[in-house]
Formats: sequence, C-alpha cells, structure tokens
Amino acid sequence: MRYTVIVGCGKIGRELALQLSKTENVVMVDKNSRALNSLGDDFNGKKIWADALDMNTLDVAGIKDANTVFLLTGNDNLNLVVGKVIKRKYGIKKVSLLVNDDIKRKIFQEVGLTIINRTNLMVGVLKKGSA
Amino acid sequence: MYIVIAGAGRVGLVLAKKLREDNHQVCLIDKDPNLCQTLSKELKNILIIFGDSTYPDILKEAKIDKADVLVSATACDEDNVIICNLAKDLFCVKRAVAIVNDPKHLPLYKYMGVDNPVDSTSIIARIVEEEASFTDVMTLLSIKKGRLSIVRVDIPQESPVVNKSLQEIRLPPNSVLVSILRGVDIIIPSGTTKIFPGDEVIAATLIDVEKDLIKTLIGKI
Repeated sequence: MRYTVIVGCGKIGRELALQLSKTENVVMVDKNSRALNSLGDDFNGKKIWADALDMNTLDVAGIKDANTVFLLTGNDNLNLVVGKVIKRKYGIKKVSLLVNDDIKRKIFQEVGLTIINRTNLMVGVLKKGSA
Repeated sequence: MYIVIAGAGRVGLVLAKKLREDNHQVCLIDKDPNLCQTLSKELKNILIIFGDSTYPDILKEAKIDKADVLVSATACDEDNVIICNLAKDLFCVKRAVAIVNDPKHLPLYKYMGVDNPVDSTSIIARIVEEEASFTDVMTLLSIKKGRLSIVRVDIPQESPVVNKSLQEIRLPPNSVLVSILRGVDIIIPSGTTKIFPGDEVIAATLIDVEKDLIKTLIGKI
C-alpha cells in the first residue's frame, strides 16, 4: 500500500489526510495536539505530535519509506527547509510543499520538488471561471 | 568590516553593539516594527532595518552584497537556515554564521549547507555544567567551538600521578601537558619532570578525551 507523510494539520492538510487515509497509509505530523485532534475519529492513520524540524520526528514518521511527502504548514520557511532536507537525505521522489510567497518559490525551486503557491492557484482558477 | 545581523534578539543586539564598539560597520534587521523604532533612536551609529530577513528584498536593502559577514540570529531555526542560504546562493556573501536555537535542529543546518552553525544552547549548557561541577578543573580557553580546550587542573594529594614523572604517566591520546605551575615557578615539563601535590597542571586536550585526562590526573571526575 502507498505510504504518505503529511506535515501540517491545517485546513488543507486535514482534508487531504482524511481523503487519502481511505485508500493508503497516512501519517500526519503536527506540533499542535489540537490540530491533530481535529482529524476526528474517522481518520484511519497515524498521528505524530512533534516538531518536524527535528530529524528524529521524521525518522519516527518513517519518512524513508514514504512514497509521497506533503509539507503543508502555514510557515513557508519551515516547508522549504524540511522539504529540501527530505529530498537530500532520503531522496524521496515526490515531495510537495506549500509556499505562499512567489519570490521564495522561484529561488528555491529544484528538480523533484513540487512547490505550490496558493495565491497563484486561486488566481488561475478564478481566471478560468471568468473566461 | 561590514556585518549584517538578522534578528535583534538578545544575541543579535549584544553582538551588534559589540561589533560597533570594535569599529565595524553594522546593520541590524528585525521584523518587529516597535523594536526597530526604539533601536533606531537608541543606536545612532547602527543601521536598523525593519523587515523580514527571509525576503531577498530586505537583505538587498541591507546592502548584503557588500557585507563581509552575515550573522543570522533570529529565534526561528528555519528562518536562520533560509537567510544563510539566500545570503550564500543569491548574494554570494563570503561568510554566513547562524545561531542554532534548538540543538535538535542542528542536522538541518548541516544538510542545508550552513557552514558555521553556532549551537548556542549546547555551548551555554556546557559552560553551566562546568561552573556547577566541583572538580578542581577549570577551562581556560576553548578553541574551535569548544573542540579543543586548554584546562588547568589542580593536583590533589590523593591523585594517582603524584610523585610520578611524566614518562611514567600514560595520558589519553590527543592530550598533552603544556606546563606545570608550582608556587611562583612555571615549569615547561620534560619526560623526567615529576608532579607533586598542589601543582597546577596546564593541559591541552580534545573535548572527547577531556574526561579521561581529568580522570588520569585527579583519579576521579
């Protein structure tokens, strides 16, 4: 079964985790226990209450066996740093992360790192809708 | 030299003042508007810039391309890593030094190519540990982030090395006795020099064998 690690249990992370956990193994990492609890009883995956900047946490989350990693915290810099380290240390092919600032997205872009900008995405959708 | 410091917290601020006293040009960046306002009134000869140092525009405003050194001293480790990366890759700053707030985050700095992470918490912990211990050992000097230290050891009566000459004493590898202070005399020891109770021994040692050296000289830790 596919194995996915998600860091950041905000609105997007939570929804993604709930949907993916129906068909694959999902591990959610967040440093806020309340955010983790918001997943509710229906969540069929593992929850880890810890700091993602600590490499130990990533090991506990079994990151080296993950097929996909999503970094979805509200902190651009954290998403970038953790994303790059995962890529360099474990060589995971699919790493997707949220970066809301376009300048940083361009600077830190690298092969194998899918950097998603929420603003760009919304603008695209809105433009399509108005056409 | 021109030095840019990101983050006007305790470390950043003290460092800025110190460097200014030593006649360096200093620029201090912080993202707290109130703090920046207060500091710009208080510190006339330091350039204060208000902004988030993880944005290239702010670093550019601080003329980072002219800087000899960048010091990243914010309270967020992820920010420090990003700032150092920007300074090196985008602005080709020769030397980037970063404060590590949480020792658990140290590996991140290494994977992200930050050459000079200063693990402040561990360094302070080591100093406090030293101050709190009751042994007759004092670190006189720490070199290379504490990897090499020069220590002074007071030789007690019951020490196993008392009345032995240096060639009879087996010191751990990577440590050496530099000199012996006996009353007013300073002795540069040779193989036949003997150690007596009350001597103060000055030794140079790598940090990982420091405990072994002390054990050899005092008999206990």
